[in-house]
Amino acid sequence: MYRAGALGVLITFFLIIWATVLMPMVLFNPKPSGNGNVYSYDEKAHADPARGRRVFVREGCFYCHTQFTRLQDRGYGPLVKAGDYVFETPHQLGTARTGPDLTNEGGKFPSEWQKAHLINPRAVKPGSIMPSFSYLSDKDMNDLVAYIQTLGNGREKKVTAYVEAPEEYKLALATKTVDTNSDAAANAGRGLYIQNCAACHGMEGLGNGPNSISLEKKPANFTRPFYKQYPDDFWFYRITEGVPGTRMPRWGDGATLADPRGGILTPEQRWYLVAYLKTLSKDRDREETVDNLRQLNKVKVEQLPILTKEQWEPPSGGE
Amino acid sequence: MLVDRILSNQEGSASRNFMISAIWWSLFAMGAGMFAGLEFSNPDLVHNVPQLAMPHLRMWHVNGVAIGWLSMGYVGAIYYMVPSLAKTRLWSERLGNFTMWAWNLLMVGAFCTLLNGVTEGREYAELCAVLDVMALVALACISLNVYMTIVHRKVKKLYVSLWYFLGALFWFPLVYLIGQRTFVYLPGLNDAIVGWFYGHNILGMWFTTVGVGMMYYLLPRTTGNPLYSHGLSMLGFWGIALFYAPTGTHHILQSPVPEWLKAIAVISSVFLLVPVLTVLTNFFMTMKGKWQLMVTDMPTRFTVTSCMFYLFTCVQGPFQATRWINWYVHFSQWVVGHAHLALLGTFSFILSAAIYYGLPRVSGRQWHSQGLIRAHWWLKFLGFWLMLASLTIAGLVQAAGWQFGIPIDQWSMQIRPYWFLRAISGIMIVLGQFIFAYNTYKTLYTPARAEAKARAKAQAAEVRA
Repeated sequence: MYRAGALGVLITFFLIIWATVLMPMVLFNPKPSGNGNVYSYDEKAHADPARGRRVFVREGCFYCHTQFTRLQDRGYGPLVKAGDYVFETPHQLGTARTGPDLTNEGGKFPSEWQKAHLINPRAVKPGSIMPSFSYLSDKDMNDLVAYIQTLGNGREKKVTAYVEAPEEYKLALATKTVDTNSDAAANAGRGLYIQNCAACHGMEGLGNGPNSISLEKKPANFTRPFYKQYPDDFWFYRITEGVPGTRMPRWGDGATLADPRGGILTPEQRWYLVAYLKTLSKDRDREETVDNLRQLNKVKVEQLPILTKEQWEPPSGGE
Repeated sequence: MLVDRILSNQEGSASRNFMISAIWWSLFAMGAGMFAGLEFSNPDLVHNVPQLAMPHLRMWHVNGVAIGWLSMGYVGAIYYMVPSLAKTRLWSERLGNFTMWAWNLLMVGAFCTLLNGVTEGREYAELCAVLDVMALVALACISLNVYMTIVHRKVKKLYVSLWYFLGALFWFPLVYLIGQRTFVYLPGLNDAIVGWFYGHNILGMWFTTVGVGMMYYLLPRTTGNPLYSHGLSMLGFWGIALFYAPTGTHHILQSPVPEWLKAIAVISSVFLLVPVLTVLTNFFMTMKGKWQLMVTDMPTRFTVTSCMFYLFTCVQGPFQATRWINWYVHFSQWVVGHAHLALLGTFSFILSAAIYYGLPRVSGRQWHSQGLIRAHWWLKFLGFWLMLASLTIAGLVQAAGWQFGIPIDQWSMQIRPYWFLRAISGIMIVLGQFIFAYNTYKTLYTPARAEAKARAKAQAAEVRA
């Protein structure tokens, strides 16, 4: 009787192995779709995405970031096909999404942003719970960024433009009564800034005002170089409507474009503020630069410097 | 002699040493889980220490708990229960102790490598090649030892626990061998299919089968009631043997793997209800008339709690493995809660019961304190419910976020309170485990010292006289 039992265990187990382990290998051999990730080394780039993948594995990124888009997902790009994964071993499909899906991550953000995000996630993404990977070496960091930038193999259109203000704010440009490039307007805006904004954004616009301590999503640091690229209408839009998902108030609350005199701040005051805010962002060459990641960790969050060493853009990442 | 000290031949020593090692590693592994939980609610807790980065802690937590705490404890319990059911000694106590050392060496290796990020990058199969080989050798030694014990048994009939143990010791080494993929290179999705075959069967063909075997052993022993039905227990055994192994693909239901494989996985997941309900009917009928023992007898209380959690896990599991539910809750913390329900709720509790029942019998000492056992139960029980509730609620918030396309930086703020509660629950559970370890230490080591002291005192008195 026990012999029959042992035989039964043997037979059932090998039947199951045959059906669920061996048969898929025989029947399921997807051909490369040509849309899989390509990890070729780029001479110009000084970074190796294939090695970056090993860093990705070593640091266990896949415990929180998945690499397959599902039918029900929104905003993560086109659906994946079986042929996309032929060269992905060990597979990095992932099990849980504590962070966003990375299937089509390549090119979504500039490499510099990715790097800053790895060093101090909360400096560029307020409220994030990603751990800091500041202990990675320069080479590891560059390779990892190279890997992230190759993900998706250009399946999704690259982000080439910044977020723009809605159409009506572009029209508002025509009705503005303040010369936003003048020193006088900036001076007027400075007073308004101290009265209304400094409590959170700080006296120097570093995003470190006293109220920022209690805020879960930290206020913006206006000295960052990329604020140079904000057009007037976008500043005006942000001041008027606030920033969704943060405590930034809607300073134009109560006003309409038809009757613009209402609101906490009048449109004129908001334009003065625009003039002042435009003067805050620092030029790149004047900002502190750091060559060493160990030094970098001692720099204050709100002064996260630019990484000058091995400035690098990936083969398919784009700006 | 040195050989006797290192590879003791004393009866029960292998079992005892495995149990002690399991408790030792559980402190590190559960501690790492707790620390990772703290980092979830305070991500800037540590900076620049790669060994304490959340993903490294997670790797060590999963492997430390699965390979260290649960597996070592299971082997300890098997080494006690199999000889007791076969009415004979363990075939080779020396081989058992040798395996114990090998496994501890494996755990030291796992501790040093995983925390430094030396990983194969496959979930549940992170251990590097050398450690994989060590684990397989150790598993082969354990199987040999147990099978030879059965060959030399004094009773003819095999009790159902032995079916489970023997089945598990045949299945698990093979599942481990197939699942590691250390020396093979499979294309991405095939790698995932085999990976989840392993990832689910380390539960199905090892933790569940040995765990249920231990329940079958402990319930009749602690209550004194005979098993309700031998026929039902056989039905349960064959149900698990048939339906558990093909379920792995339900972990990747929305990925582009073949539909027929997903169908097999979902169908057998739902069919799992059959053996589970059979087994639990059997358990609860065995308890008939003895439920009051849950209040007074601590091993019984741990066992029955474990059975209750087993019912909960195995109803929740098939429920969320169906395509409709999986569509919604997959990728969220709900699943993490479910994993803890199985491994912490069910199998940690049954292992604690086995140790509370078995350790006094292999070491010949009574537990230092019953109060500490109760404290252990309460801390783990309440801590576990807090963890399950917070993870499930967080998972539902997350699932809604994914389902309705809400940007992650909006809903991620909404689950902060649940991360915090989870961290608290982790502290409670680890505290419970430390109490367990302290109690074990006091039980095993202090009375001996006290006795020795008393003897020395008597001798001194004699000399003085």
